[in-house]
Amino acid sequence: MRYLALPLLSQNLTESTARAQTLSLYLQLSLQVSLSQRNESTMSSSSSSLPSCPKKVVTLKSSEGETFEIEEIAALQSKTLENMIDENCADTPIPLPNIKGKILAKVVEYCNKHAEVGVDAESLRAWDAEFVNVENTTVFDYILAANFLEIPTLLDLTCQSVADMIKGKTPAEIEKTFNIKSAFTPEEEEQVRRENQWAFE
Amino acid sequence: MAFTMLSGDVIAQIISLTTPQDACTMSSVSTNCRSIADSDQVWSNFLPPGCENLIPQISPKKSLYRYLCDHPVPIDGRNMSLSLDKKSGKKCFMLGARDLTIAWGDDRRYWRWMATPESRFDEVARLQYVWWFHIIGRIETFMLSSGTNYAAYFVFRFDGQGDGFNWPVKSHVCIDSDELDEGRSVTLDPGGGEARAIRERADGWMEIEMGEFHNENGDDGTLVCSLREVVRPKSGLIVEGIELRPKETR
Repeated sequence: MRYLALPLLSQNLTESTARAQTLSLYLQLSLQVSLSQRNESTMSSSSSSLPSCPKKVVTLKSSEGETFEIEEIAALQSKTLENMIDENCADTPIPLPNIKGKILAKVVEYCNKHAEVGVDAESLRAWDAEFVNVENTTVFDYILAANFLEIPTLLDLTCQSVADMIKGKTPAEIEKTFNIKSAFTPEEEEQVRRENQWAFE
Repeated sequence: MAFTMLSGDVIAQIISLTTPQDACTMSSVSTNCRSIADSDQVWSNFLPPGCENLIPQISPKKSLYRYLCDHPVPIDGRNMSLSLDKKSGKKCFMLGARDLTIAWGDDRRYWRWMATPESRFDEVARLQYVWWFHIIGRIETFMLSSGTNYAAYFVFRFDGQGDGFNWPVKSHVCIDSDELDEGRSVTLDPGGGEARAIRERADGWMEIEMGEFHNENGDDGTLVCSLREVVRPKSGLIVEGIELRPKETR
């Protein structure tokens, strides 16, 4: 089998470009796999084998190369993974170069929990609340992963958690919480504040 | 991972999950936050469904939101106005006097209709005198914002010769079919301590709370707000209308 030259994926890629590149890489890879399998089977003799049982597990590879297994049924919560499964691209480990192992492990845990049957809504809500009860920077990592993997429930949960951190704060408090530099001059800041005064009257 | 590395779309989604006030706060945080926090993507979310294009000439959506908070707009075909509650973006309605059912309202002996610059509507109703005082306002619950606790307020004033309103009037705010609603008693012209229930509004009229109603899905049918007192003679009341606006649950 020919080896494909792996494109270098830099950190500066936008999420959608990274996702498109990963998907395209996997489509190419799986095409290679199926082509070589077809070549092998036409070259072999009359042995007819039954098709193997469909795999129930998907393997994900973090940016550091660590692998994580996730049951297909849990993986279906990710639209990205669902598409790959549908297109039969999920038979080989899927690299997710944007997602660190620490984060990927938690995302897998989230998907597994939400794929469980018989969990009542109340305890799931409590579990979700604990899940996002972490450092801001970790929640942002979850958001990026949920966005990349297109997991709507995780994206909603994490975005709401950040929204709750913003509610009721002053600009100075928000800058401190999220480590944002204002970049406004004092005059600009005063002008913006005046423009927005109406909302507080 | 820093907040500033999140994409504009994601930050817009996060801000949409806060409140209009918080979006205005985010606007003051940084240049990047300002352009996202002021965007139509965020403010379309704060406008109630169906209101995003209410006044096409006003753009962007943030300006439309602000406009609708301060300028009630008339609703076609009804003597009714719509505005937004500034903090929550929920819909507020005022049913004008002509939209209400006023017993004996067409009889000039009892009620007169007149235009006044203090009203947002074409006409207000002035009570000459009546024994049978019964005013009803109706609004379909599907018009109200869902998941919202509303209070109804009777908006009125006296023309200096108000009489007979120092006695309680029976007030109901309930769904049409609810026969068990107890209602409450309100006094439009109390002396002394009870006067705190009467509030002077920013538009110069007075108001008194008639009752509350929680609108969950807007599928409860017609909400009926009524005032009734048929035992004593009354006069000198001017009716602007009945206003419905969100009230925070305690």
